[in-house]
Amino acid sequence: MDPLAAIKVTFFQECEEQLAELEGGLLAMEGGDHDPEIVNAVFRAVHSIKGGAGAFSLEALVRFSHVFETALDLIRGGDIQADQETLKLLLRSADVLADHVRAARDGGVVDEGRSSAMAEALEALASGMGGGGEADTGDGFDDFVFNPVSIDMSDAPAPADDSVAALLASITGGDADGGAGEADAPASDDAPSQTWHVRFYPQVGLYQKANEAGLLLRELGRLGEVAVRLDASGLPLLQNMNPEDAYLGWSADLTGPGIEESAIREVFEWVEGDCYLDIVREGAAPPVAQASGVDAVGDVDVMALIRAAQAAEVPAAAAAAPTAPARASAEAKATAEPAKAKEAALDAKAQAAAREASPQTIRVDLERVDRLIDLVGELVINQAMLTQRVAECGLQRASSVAMGLDDLEQLTREIQDSVMAIRAQPVKSVFQRFPRLVREIAAMTGKEVRLIMDGEGTEVDKTVIERLSDPLTHMIRNAIDHGLETPEEREAAGKPREGVVRLAALHRSGRIVIEISDDGRGINRPRVKQIAVDKGLISPEANLSDDEIDNLIFMAGFSTAATVSDISGRGVGMDVVRRSIQSLGGRINISSRPGQGSTFTLSLPLTLAVLDGMVVTVAGQTLVAPLTAIIESLQPKACDVRNLGPNAQVIAIRDTHVPLIDIGRSLGYRTVTPPPTEGVALLVEGEGGSRAALMVDAIQGQRQVVIKSLEANYRPVPGIAAATILGDGRVALILDIDAVMVPKPHEGGGAIAAPANGGLDTVGAPTSLAKVG
Amino acid sequence: MEDIVQRKTGDRIELISFRIGDQEFCVDIMAVREIRGWTPATSLPQAPSFVKGVINLRGAVLPIVDLAARMGMAVTEPSERHVIIVTRICDQQVGLLVDAVCDIITVETGSIQQTPDLACDVVKTFVKGLLAMEGRMISLISLDNVLPTLEIEASGAETASILAA
Repeated sequence: MDPLAAIKVTFFQECEEQLAELEGGLLAMEGGDHDPEIVNAVFRAVHSIKGGAGAFSLEALVRFSHVFETALDLIRGGDIQADQETLKLLLRSADVLADHVRAARDGGVVDEGRSSAMAEALEALASGMGGGGEADTGDGFDDFVFNPVSIDMSDAPAPADDSVAALLASITGGDADGGAGEADAPASDDAPSQTWHVRFYPQVGLYQKANEAGLLLRELGRLGEVAVRLDASGLPLLQNMNPEDAYLGWSADLTGPGIEESAIREVFEWVEGDCYLDIVREGAAPPVAQASGVDAVGDVDVMALIRAAQAAEVPAAAAAAPTAPARASAEAKATAEPAKAKEAALDAKAQAAAREASPQTIRVDLERVDRLIDLVGELVINQAMLTQRVAECGLQRASSVAMGLDDLEQLTREIQDSVMAIRAQPVKSVFQRFPRLVREIAAMTGKEVRLIMDGEGTEVDKTVIERLSDPLTHMIRNAIDHGLETPEEREAAGKPREGVVRLAALHRSGRIVIEISDDGRGINRPRVKQIAVDKGLISPEANLSDDEIDNLIFMAGFSTAATVSDISGRGVGMDVVRRSIQSLGGRINISSRPGQGSTFTLSLPLTLAVLDGMVVTVAGQTLVAPLTAIIESLQPKACDVRNLGPNAQVIAIRDTHVPLIDIGRSLGYRTVTPPPTEGVALLVEGEGGSRAALMVDAIQGQRQVVIKSLEANYRPVPGIAAATILGDGRVALILDIDAVMVPKPHEGGGAIAAPANGGLDTVGAPTSLAKVG
Repeated sequence: MEDIVQRKTGDRIELISFRIGDQEFCVDIMAVREIRGWTPATSLPQAPSFVKGVINLRGAVLPIVDLAARMGMAVTEPSERHVIIVTRICDQQVGLLVDAVCDIITVETGSIQQTPDLACDVVKTFVKGLLAMEGRMISLISLDNVLPTLEIEASGAETASILAA
């Protein structure tokens, strides 16, 4: 990949992050959070996308993000009130922006009508309310007039967290009180405020990348009081002027407490290299040149910290969280210079938030991580083999070798856990697509929907996340399309017009649980049953419990939607969802209360690389049964086992009869089934909640095994899901419970009406249905 | 493997020769990854009779093909003395169970003789050429058809027994 393409890939990765931040910020604002930092973050996200897009000459993206940015800037400046209507517009604009980014990345086309309509709406928003003659009304620099003004900071939004303000005020106060005595470093100043001279001469590249000098200068104004002078001396005569060149420069005197050079540089961060920038502090002996800026930043930073510590008297507490005395002593000072303190507090808060939000990360090729996981898997196996060999040698458990091996085992496990954690990602990456989905479906169905998301930080393996997206999308569509009522129906039922769809993720006993719930009408059980009967899925006289009726929706060929709508019900139903969840080693459950809504609960393994298994022996072979499918194990009594038909057996477990399947025979390891009383039965639950008792000869124990593919070097084997390598170095096969339960696989669907030999041989058959046959 | 036969005369290729029963065979050394002793394999359900099962090759699951059974000869009862030749076929690694590995031989491609036209399907499927060495005959094996493909999987076992007849 050539360097530019590589940078472009990174740009688009960052765009995705910015888009997520944008949407998250807008949603927080919609939720009533008026923290100015959120508005800033939203603005920064769009601005970053615009900046990058400019560098790559992505015209459409630049145009749209520019309009968007303009509107956001007015909101940031308080010229536009961010009411609910505005936020809805902004959220839709964020969707369009996402479309633009994706179109730019994948070479697709954006819905032009939608995009331009949105751009017009944004422009209307900006011009309608923000007619304050702001600098950002045009693309070029030649049509705006920049008046050197001192910006009045008193109208800055009040800081939400006044303890930070107090801390900052205490810093200022410390300076005023005893700054001269305490601060003995060469860079100390004897006044609380300091003045910076900033000279800023944009070059043509700055404008080409869609940056605006005006915005940058205004940004500068947020740091403190600023006086800007235009330097038009470079302007040539009109006939010599190239309209696309840059001739103007500005010099600004920035005055305010606690301003650091790094903060100033941050303002110009995006245009570095595209402008001549000179930042000098008043009174500083040698003018700080652009290149040597790092040293100066270091000095100032340290001094600020020292002052903060001394002023607050309790240094550690001051750094971590401001204490009450510090606040009290600072209050008087804070009132003396309220505006400045507030502004400084905002600044500090922004910086703190930035630090918090961006922990140190690196981007790593997924392949490398996977290779590492493979290697660690082999390490685990090797370690287990070594332990077994040592045990075979007859060494005492207390011997130093055995103890060393125990330590090794601990370390190996820790390495395995840590490596798995690298692949783990918060479910947020899937969840963040859903607000948009919900908005679109709500618009299509004319329903009012609020999406509540919870536990987005819950982490799970990347492969699980990738494969969660489709089933979750489908279920959310269903929840809105089928679950929620129209606003009128809801009002009639005495519910709020706005329906709520809740999406929550949490960790529970080594698995991730995801719940999708709605407060809609719940499952219409008589209708579900009627449909199932009509479609021949169950026999009319079948007597089903509520739970079993609810589970009918998971059967193949079942769709409750009376009309096939655009949103859901296009042939793929909940059976597909169930199957994809099960292919991940997960389970899905539904609980529903008429009139109050339904809840789908997914339970999934945290990773697909390892599996908790029950190691069993069958006909001399060692097999692994996935623990998630096993409900219980039991020793069959002769009186509980009954013959049914010519060659099938069932076993009575607490008054229900489930088919008894000999694993050895169904896998073809043996032709004669030994008496069930000599073995152990595993009661398992397969697809659709159907149960069976699997006969094995003996249980060796439970173990976490690393899943190895059989297909890589061979091909799929019926009845076998995958392979693993046990402690003795031999390969053991992992049972495919569902395949084993269905001895003669055939098309599911109508099989329940006539179960063959009492066998539970169809997809999605609830337990009691099997007894009908 | 067919490439070997089509290469220019004068090219020299290296082959690994091995023994099954009283016959000698050889494969291109480039297809061979390693040679190891027999270790007990985990048998696979519903596998063709010539698939002995799978073994652990440093963390990978390696299927073992009994080459004798594959070519329609008697099924091998593996012992400690038997040898597994780990080969790479397309993108898959496959272990070939043989009686013993004999030698590395270097031959000119021109000296590989065409397989005589026999009615036997096994020969047509697996033998790509013959080598005469010091009065012995060594058959050059094509590995392409060693693993059963998905299309014939259902009748894999039958195919082998038909070929044996």
